[in-house]
Order: sequence, then C-alpha cells, then structure tokens
Amino acid sequence: MIAQVFWNGRPVPFCEGETLGSALTRAGISDLGRAPTGQARAVFCGIGQCQGCLVRVGTRLTEACLLPCVDGLQAEPDAGGQTDA
Amino acid sequence: MSDRLDHDVIIAGAGVVGAAIAWHLARAGVRVAIIDATGPAAAASGASDGAVSVASKKPGVMARLASASLIYTHDLAAQGPLQAAFAARPAHIFGSGAAELAAMDTLAAKLNHLSGRVRVVADGGPDLLSGLGTGVDRLMTLEGEGHMPGHKAVRAYLAAPGITCIWPAPLLGYEVADGFVTVRLADRTLRAGQLVLALGVSSPDLIPGLPIVPRAGQLIVTDRGPVGALSGSLTAAAYLVAKTQDGAALPLLPVVIDPLTSGQYLIGSTREDHGDPTRVDFATLRRLLTRAATVWPALRDRRVIRTFAGVRAAVSDSLPIVGPLPGADRVTIVTGFEGDGICLSALIGREVARMLCGLSPDAALAADLAALSPVRFSKNRIEGAA
Amino acid sequence: MRGDRLMRDSRVLVIGAGLAGLAAAVEIAGAGLPVLVVDQAQAPGGAVHRQPLPGVRSIASGMQRRRWTRLMAQINAQAERIEIRCNTRFGGMDYTGDALLTGDGRALMQPRALVLATGARERVQPRPGWTLPCVTTAGAIQAELKTTAHPPYGRVLLAGSGPLLLAVAAELVRLGRAPVAVIEAGHPFSHPLSALRLPASYLIEAAGYLLRVKAAGVPVLTGAHVLAITPSADGLVVRVNTPRGDRSFGADRIGLHDGIAPNDAGLPVDGPVPVLRLGDCREALGARAALADGRAGGGRLAAQLLGRAAPDPSADLDLQRQAQRRLGAIYAHDGLTRLSDLPSDTVLCRCENRTLADLRALGSNPGARGLRLDGRFGMGPCQGRFCAEWVGRLSTPAGLPLPHIGSNRWPSRPIPISDLVDPSAEGLEP
Repeated sequence: MIAQVFWNGRPVPFCEGETLGSALTRAGISDLGRAPTGQARAVFCGIGQCQGCLVRVGTRLTEACLLPCVDGLQAEPDAGGQTDA
Repeated sequence: MSDRLDHDVIIAGAGVVGAAIAWHLARAGVRVAIIDATGPAAAASGASDGAVSVASKKPGVMARLASASLIYTHDLAAQGPLQAAFAARPAHIFGSGAAELAAMDTLAAKLNHLSGRVRVVADGGPDLLSGLGTGVDRLMTLEGEGHMPGHKAVRAYLAAPGITCIWPAPLLGYEVADGFVTVRLADRTLRAGQLVLALGVSSPDLIPGLPIVPRAGQLIVTDRGPVGALSGSLTAAAYLVAKTQDGAALPLLPVVIDPLTSGQYLIGSTREDHGDPTRVDFATLRRLLTRAATVWPALRDRRVIRTFAGVRAAVSDSLPIVGPLPGADRVTIVTGFEGDGICLSALIGREVARMLCGLSPDAALAADLAALSPVRFSKNRIEGAA
Repeated sequence: MRGDRLMRDSRVLVIGAGLAGLAAAVEIAGAGLPVLVVDQAQAPGGAVHRQPLPGVRSIASGMQRRRWTRLMAQINAQAERIEIRCNTRFGGMDYTGDALLTGDGRALMQPRALVLATGARERVQPRPGWTLPCVTTAGAIQAELKTTAHPPYGRVLLAGSGPLLLAVAAELVRLGRAPVAVIEAGHPFSHPLSALRLPASYLIEAAGYLLRVKAAGVPVLTGAHVLAITPSADGLVVRVNTPRGDRSFGADRIGLHDGIAPNDAGLPVDGPVPVLRLGDCREALGARAALADGRAGGGRLAAQLLGRAAPDPSADLDLQRQAQRRLGAIYAHDGLTRLSDLPSDTVLCRCENRTLADLRALGSNPGARGLRLDGRFGMGPCQGRFCAEWVGRLSTPAGLPLPHIGSNRWPSRPIPISDLVDPSAEGLEP
C-alpha cells in the first residue's frame, strides 16, 4: 500500500514526513486555486511565510507548505475564494 | 471675514467629527483648515468598528441625536460625500438569559418611541437567522442602520474642495486676542476667526480639567472568506447595556461581529479604563472569540490576522461635550463621543458648522444639543486659554 | 478584566530550531535553565540545515553536516533541559507576557524569557508575472532539494541577485537538472579584487558552485533583469533584459531571489519578560553569524536570568558583517531603481492583490497609515513580509525615512480562531 493524500479527490503519493506542498509540487500540481482577492494560490516561499499556498482541509484553511501529509488526508482549493466576486 | 486671517476656522483633530465639521463649513463657503498631530483618522476614528447604530445608544438624548444623525447620514450617502463610505445593512441583536432579553425589550420600546429610520423587522427565536450557532434565545433584526469605516468617512469628507489639510502638525497651543485666535504649530503660527478643538482623547492636553478619560477596546480582524454569509452586524444584547453599566457586572460578554465588505470579520470589543492602544491580550480576545464563535460558528474557520485596541474618549456623565468653551471666546470644543463619533458625526458636523456661522440649531434638536454644552462642567473650572 | 492569569512557566521559550535558536538553547540549558524550543517545520534545522525526509540522502556539504552533528550532540547532551517541539507555530506574545503556541505543541504559556530566532525571509522584488503558479522563491526550490533530493519538474530558471542563485543552480546540476539559465542582476565576476577580500570559506564555496554551473554549460547572465513572466502553452516564458539586448527563455519553474532580510514581522520588541532576537531574525548575516549570535545571546540571557555577571557582551560579528557588506558591493546593481519603471498593473501586495497603480492612486508620500488604511498595503495575512519594503520605497520621496507598514504586534502569523477558542482538552488552559 502506498500512502497517499487526496487533492480535490485525486490521489497523490507522499513520502514519510513530507508536507502537502512538497507532495503536490512533486506530483506536478502547482495551481492551488484562487484567493478571495482573485490572486492565484500557489506555493511561493515554501516555508510558511507568504500565505500563498493556503488550501482547505475540512473546514479550515492551512498552509500546504507546512501541513504534514498523513495517509488519506483530503485537501482542496479554498471554496470561499472560488465563489467570490 | 478678515484678510488678516489665514483661515476663517481652524479645526484641530482630523477624526471623523472634525472632518464632518470641515466639510459642512467648506460647503457653506467658510475658509477652513484642519490640522492633526498625525494625520487623518489617526486615533479612535481609524480604529473603530464603523457601526452607525442607534440601537446601542442610551435612551434619551443620545438615542434621539443618533436617530437624527442616522437619517442625515442616509441623506449624505444618497447624494453627498458619504456615497462610498456608508453602507446600509441590517443589524442583528442576539440575547441569552434574562438580563439580555430584558435589554432587548428596552431596545424595542426605545426604537418604537423614537419612530426614526430604525425599525424592528424580525423578533423571535434563533431560527430567524440561518448560520446562527448555539447560545441564542432571541434574535431581533433591525433595518435602517449601517456601516461606515471611520477612515473612509474622513477621507470622503476631506476630499471636498476648499479644505486645507495640515499634518503632521501637533497643536502646541493657542491664544485668543484682538478678535482672532492664534494657533501655534511647531513651524508656524496661524490666525483664524474661530478654533474648533476636536481632539478626542487628547482634548485634556489643551483643556486641563476636562473630565475625559480614555476607554480602550480590543478588536480582532480575520482573514477573508466568502462575502455575504452574514448580512449585517451581529451584536450581543449585553452590548446595549455595556456603556451604562460596569462591564464586569454584565452577565454575558458584550461582543459585536461585524462582516466587512472584504469578506473579513471585525470582532470587538472590550471597554477598558486605560489609553494604551498596544494593550491587546490573548486571554481577553479568547473570551470575546469564544462567545463570538459559539453564536456564529463560521468564525471557527477564519483566522485572526490583526488585533488592535482603539481608544475612545469617555466623559464622566457619558454624554459628548459639544459647544463654545466657557471663558474662551472663539473656541469651540467637540469631544467625548466614546465610540459614538462615527454615528453622530454627520449631525454634529452640520450643527457645529451652523453654530460657528452664527445660525441657531435645528429646533427639534436644540434641547438635546444644549445638553452637550461644556457649561455643565463649568464648576470644574475647565477653561481655555484666554 | 482578566480572571484567568497563567502561572509563570519556568522555561525559556525559543522560537525557531535553526542555528541561532539551538545554539542559544545549548547555552541557556548549559547554565541550568529549562528550555522549550518550537519550530513550525517538521524537524529542526531551520533554512540552512533543513533535514532530508526519512530515507532521503542529505545533499548537505561535509562542512554543513559536521556543524549540524556537533550542534545536535550539544543539544542531546542537555536533553533533560531542552525540549524541542516541531510542527508548532508561534502566534505571538502579548503585553501581559502570555505566549501562544498552536499546532502539535499548542499552549498558552508565560515563559520566563522569549528568544526569537525566526531566521530570515527572502526578499523578492515584484516583477510582472511573479504571482503565477510555478514561480517561487529560490529558497523554496532549495528547501525542496534539501528535503526530497528531487529536482523540480522540467526546466528551471533562477533569477534575481545574490550568492544563493548560484548555490541552488549548483545543487540542481548535481542532481542532474541543470537550470536553463541563471539571471543575475549584479556583476559579481567584475570585482575579482573585492572578491579576494572575502573570507576564504566564502570564496571556496562560491568558486565550487560557479565551476559546477559553468561546467554544465548553464548560461549565467549578469547585469540581467527579468522583465516579465507570462504563461504559455507549455509552461512559462521569461523575458530578460541583458546588457546585450532582450532575450526569452522557456521555463517550467522559476526561482526568484533578491537577498535576505530579518523575518521579524509581528514579533514583540519587548515585554514583561526578557525578549531577545538572535541570528538572521535580528540581523541577516547568514549561517556563520547566526551560530555565533545564538551562542553569545543565549549565554547573555542565562546570565541575566540567573543574576550573574554577563559574559562576553556579544558575539564578534564584525567579520561576518564585513563579509556581507563586501558581498553586497560585489553584487551591487540598479534593480531597485527599476521598481518605478514596472508596468502599473504589476502586483506589489500579493495578499491583497494591490498593484503599482493602486499605490500611485494614494498620491505622493501617503505615509504608513495611508498605505495601510486607504491602500491596504501590508494589511494581508503575510503581515507585509513580501511587500512592505518595496511599497515603502516606491511611496516615499528620496531622503525621507521609509514608513513602517508591517506589523510589530501579534499575531506574527494568522491564528485559526478554532485554535484560540477550543477547550482545555486541547491544552490551551494552564
């Protein structure tokens, strides 16, 4: 069994100890949706400073670059950002 | 007025009240300058929740003045300077337990008596507002109130032609002699026919003895989320009595949840007897947020990105101070709004401008405006420099 | 107002398990005081010693590995007095001395003293297209290489200025993914005499990187600036201005870097207990200085807390300061003056999506308050880390001090409300 997380329902494999941001980047997933301001969400600083890679896990927004992967983790783009004017 | 003067009127203090006075004077053709130690909306106005609320005013003078000011604010927003600054929106009041429910009864009676622009459009159980969490026994929705961020209102008023803005320029002192006021700034002196001191919590620096104390309030701003999830402010009924009672004696925490047009929430606010805008603490904000997130669970998904404290200018008898300064001809004082400046600014701006132009006040408001006169403290011997 | 005062904790709280924070912890624990070190990453190391994932071979140099092994041995020797909690974020310390930690080590505590060793942030000048996905900091690429030892997918281009660009380029070459180009704004190879006055260790390191990059045939363009990054059918197109005219490169991943600065947004300046900033978070001088500053600062703090005479007042950082100054001179370029030539729709504030046109609409010299309240610059969740410097420069007439538009009050990072309000079961109660 390969450990995997799910991005928008799509399985993404990860290594032990890896962050979600790193796993998504290695899987070629760079577009993480849109912020309410219209700005693209994506990894930028990679170390938890810029707030650019916020994703939704359950109901919470969190930095993908800091979030440790655990098997079965479900993450998706920030819905709040997509529905905004 | 005379050519010996740099300006007809100088207003010291570019908060929302000073800016509103400036706009009304400029519109009447008066040559007006506004000076500020820091800049526009640098103190309480820029650190306020922006509520234009009649509901939160104490019944009597303040409620009547607020009601009149709200009507006028709507006018200035419909076709005037406040078009982009003021937004009408519902106000939701919630309560739990006997003390808060009683405060809501008092509110309904007050609004009914005022018969102004604000009216109760719904009053019932928590199911009246979708998204509401637990801990609410009764919800009341009002129509007619609105929201106006202080810095936006100040910017809107001061954008009018004919207002000279001078900052950063602390007012070092003033003298009244020979039919004019000389205002001392660090790098120059200015002559004016009249001086208005609209200095908020700094007023006692120039008028020793003025019974004004700072009252700080901690506020929280969240990150952005979906816009429109909450249609208007959501205010604990405890807030309605917070200004008239010792905060510690309140049965429940007075909290206001304010949805901003950006999709952020502004959550406030405490009433603390000090004037330090940097005093913000986790324990207090945690208690505010705990009640806020219980009532409005969507807050649990938001993140705090900013905290600050606004410092209100509170007066010993809880009424603002508006009128000619006893013993100092040509000097008018306007201060002590304790967080109500945003709501009252339109009306006070208009009425102080009338006063300065030698016109009598709106007859319906004359008695209430007279109640704000600084003469009520004359026995305290507050006086200006003569 | 406050009925829920916390008991004073006996521990010194250290924020950041990099060189400065850990070196300080060793000294403080060595004096007999208990220390709690927290870090937001999954493992100690900080930016310089970011550790590979389990089972991944480290790409660190022998010198780096020896330094880290030595430091960790010192930490382990004090294990009973030093606790390290990873995946733990510092929300801030308020005026009462309460410090908020969220994540694995969540707590609201009153530490005996606070050591801030939050390292550096990368400076990245705004450029058209710098907000596109696949455009990151060069440091983000380096962090990926250090943890996974996997080069990024596709064609990598590095741009900006400073020694880090060549260091990352050399790592990429070693991992078999030579970058398509290194775009360096300065002229670092035109100052051989100044370069020779750098400490030998700097020179050996830099020469090694350069040789490897050149040997792989990577074009290193100096005096060159990225004009714009645009999306294309297959990745990104980077338009570059060079002294010999404009050029274009295709790329799948772009790493930008314009130097480093203290990562100090939202950190307390002082408090009811001693507050100390150490390492790059105080003054961005790099790894060697961070280690020395951490040691000296830790020793000083321990002496202060124990009422002993202070040891050596501070680390001798002059050599590192001088080296950084020389590096600055070697890499000097006119990139800052190009800021005002940016197209007016260039995004300056990434958080609030505010552009150069939005800044100009505020008029001349709007000041910190105008920039924040009216312009919304520095008001987003990154606390101004990535826009404050450029917005300050662009909005302030030459000669006047730059406005401070970032935050120096908690939260130093966004705090989930659920982390603040959740009940005692989650550990926030004393």
